[in-house]
Amino acid sequence: MLKKTLELLFNIDRRWLFLLLALSIFIPIVRPLGLPNKNISADVRHVYEKMNSLPPGSFILLSLDYDPSTRPELHPQAMALVRQAFERNLRVGVVTFIPGSTGLIDEVFSTLSKQYNKVYGKDYVIFPYEPNIVAVLTQMASNLYGIYDKDKYGNEAASLPVMKGITNYKDMGLVVDVTGTSSIDIWVQYAGDKYNVPLAAGVTAISQPSYGPYLQTGQLKGLIGGMKGAADYETLLNAPGKGTSGIDALNLAHILVVVLIVFSNLGLFLVKYL
Amino acid sequence: MKLIKKQIPFAIVFVFGMLTLVSYYVPHPKSVAFLDTVSQWENIVSSFAFLLGLFSLFYTHYAKIKKKGDGWGYSLFVFVGFLAVVVPAIVSHGRQMSGSEMTPLGWSFRYIYNTLLATMFAVLAFYIVSTAYRSFRIKSVQAMVLFVAALILILGRVPIGEILWGKALGWTGHSLSGLMNWIVDVPSVAGKRGIMIGIAVGAVVTSLKIVFGIERQYLGKD
Amino acid sequence: MSHTWMIAGGWLAAGLTIFIFSFLYKDNPFFKIAEHLYLGAGMGWWFQVYLYSIWIPKVADPLRAHQWAVLVPAVLGVSLVTQFFPKISWVSRYGFTFLMGYGAGLAIPTMLSTNFMSQIYGCIQPFTDVSHMTRLGMLNSLIVAVGTIAVLFYFFFSVENKGAVKKISNIGIYFLMAYFGTTFGNTVMARFSLLYGRFDELYSYSGANYFYATQVLLAGMVAYFLVHGLLAKKKPEGGAAN
Repeated sequence: MLKKTLELLFNIDRRWLFLLLALSIFIPIVRPLGLPNKNISADVRHVYEKMNSLPPGSFILLSLDYDPSTRPELHPQAMALVRQAFERNLRVGVVTFIPGSTGLIDEVFSTLSKQYNKVYGKDYVIFPYEPNIVAVLTQMASNLYGIYDKDKYGNEAASLPVMKGITNYKDMGLVVDVTGTSSIDIWVQYAGDKYNVPLAAGVTAISQPSYGPYLQTGQLKGLIGGMKGAADYETLLNAPGKGTSGIDALNLAHILVVVLIVFSNLGLFLVKYL
Repeated sequence: MKLIKKQIPFAIVFVFGMLTLVSYYVPHPKSVAFLDTVSQWENIVSSFAFLLGLFSLFYTHYAKIKKKGDGWGYSLFVFVGFLAVVVPAIVSHGRQMSGSEMTPLGWSFRYIYNTLLATMFAVLAFYIVSTAYRSFRIKSVQAMVLFVAALILILGRVPIGEILWGKALGWTGHSLSGLMNWIVDVPSVAGKRGIMIGIAVGAVVTSLKIVFGIERQYLGKD
Repeated sequence: MSHTWMIAGGWLAAGLTIFIFSFLYKDNPFFKIAEHLYLGAGMGWWFQVYLYSIWIPKVADPLRAHQWAVLVPAVLGVSLVTQFFPKISWVSRYGFTFLMGYGAGLAIPTMLSTNFMSQIYGCIQPFTDVSHMTRLGMLNSLIVAVGTIAVLFYFFFSVENKGAVKKISNIGIYFLMAYFGTTFGNTVMARFSLLYGRFDELYSYSGANYFYATQVLLAGMVAYFLVHGLLAKKKPEGGAAN
């Protein structure tokens, strides 16, 4: 009897599983569980502290290389980083190496520049998309105006107040690559290692485990990973946003996956020996 | 003809390969200037590679429409989608914001491109659940290691995992996040580092083969 | 853009999202339309980005200013397109060999330094400062070093898998499994995050300010499947073939 029920459950139409998942994520969006996010990852804390240690007026370069396909994970990270930079009066430059990111970059800055009264050209600058990251990173080591002679809007980049005193990596306090691609490998290889640029990164949860080796060697100063990383950063900043509400919505779904794996394996075990 | 078709291209790959390789190690102003120029060139050349993808997509769907092949009507929507982004882009001169106002391109980005791309990837979440249920089988010690690592990560990433852990296994004195960090920082680093070194050796060998013209597959046939 | 455009956008986005998700229930024309739009819009987006960040400012503008040097990369770039014409497709080799030469030339030193030397250094470095290490730290560093070597054994000696070599490479598999396990665990979070993103947007389009776009479109989709299901049932057997 039990065996039959179990076998029936194994052959269940997978659309029921889909429905379960949909409900487990949708319900907490409508009614948040509100569980506190307590365990802040040390790697996230390192990014936060590095940013906090920079004196006001320092220039940081953000390489925002994510598109809508990874937006829920990476957009909150970028928002939190820019928020912190603006709060601490750091100068921000933005570059990007994937075409799909330009729209999201505009979204970040159109929201936050108003909130913090920051002026384009004086407090931050956005450079146009460039297709070949290797070529650009190599070029930026000597003189970034060789490739970014103009900003995104066609202004002479060197004449913008925000770029005063900035020629290459040596003049930057920190570079953070928020990326849904493998661009962080290239940042480490072509800029970090070769020119001793202090590098940190924000990545998707999928690629997060790949960067353990870079963290251990210090090739990366810190790492924000996935939605959890975004939530951690928002907690550190005391500015809950989409990362915090997102991680709250994932609680039930994560439990669901664990239950499904355990249940199916236990069931299989029982079917075999009953 | 052989000179133009074969020997000059091989000379190009060898010369540019060697010069960029050497420039990496030589901090002379001339090598820096060389790398600067070639990097700018490379940026332009690679942008044209995109056209290969674009033309081949257009050609496939144009042919389908012309032949009125199966589901040709859907192929029309490839062109509709393309125009739905490119026309607003031209109207807005490639800008998504004009002051604090969203331009037609900004609109098209937000409601069309963003929506389609994000949803296509979000669908994968559903397949993870059915894979977890149907294919995640713990049949060996190795699979058990994979399962334990995955389990700790899945639970450790959400607040509820730590709460449940505290209730069930708090008496052990180990926190879930501590265990999770250990797995990520120690055994997982070893696994990934082995893969990295392996790939590095492979990539260097392949690159050398390309520079010296031993690897020629990317050129296609005569 | 006006308020009406925002509402229209909400309806469009909610509709496209629901069309794509509808595939999870069953393949249908709405999904196919959204899928094809996705292909086209994706290409369109890339096209306009290339146009406004490369082709106009980096090729057309310099040419207008008589900076002829830019012709070199432009011609090499255009040469790639000859791929489509079998008779002259060899011309594309000029562009490809330039890209390959540059890429390979840069890959050699960077791969050697970042992914080879630095990683070996990462295994050895902790042991250069043993006096400052805790026992646990030392054990962990030892595990990382041994694990890395074992994984390399697994990769490089996979042909002769006998005796001691086999044992070491077997240990390597456990470390690989630990890495794959963490990756799987994190993949779950990543995929669910994306789904959260879509649901969160659908939820915002379900409000009165968007005239309940999500609910209306969802109901429409359900109605379609119901009607379609009923019609399929009513059709006599073999009817589908006619």
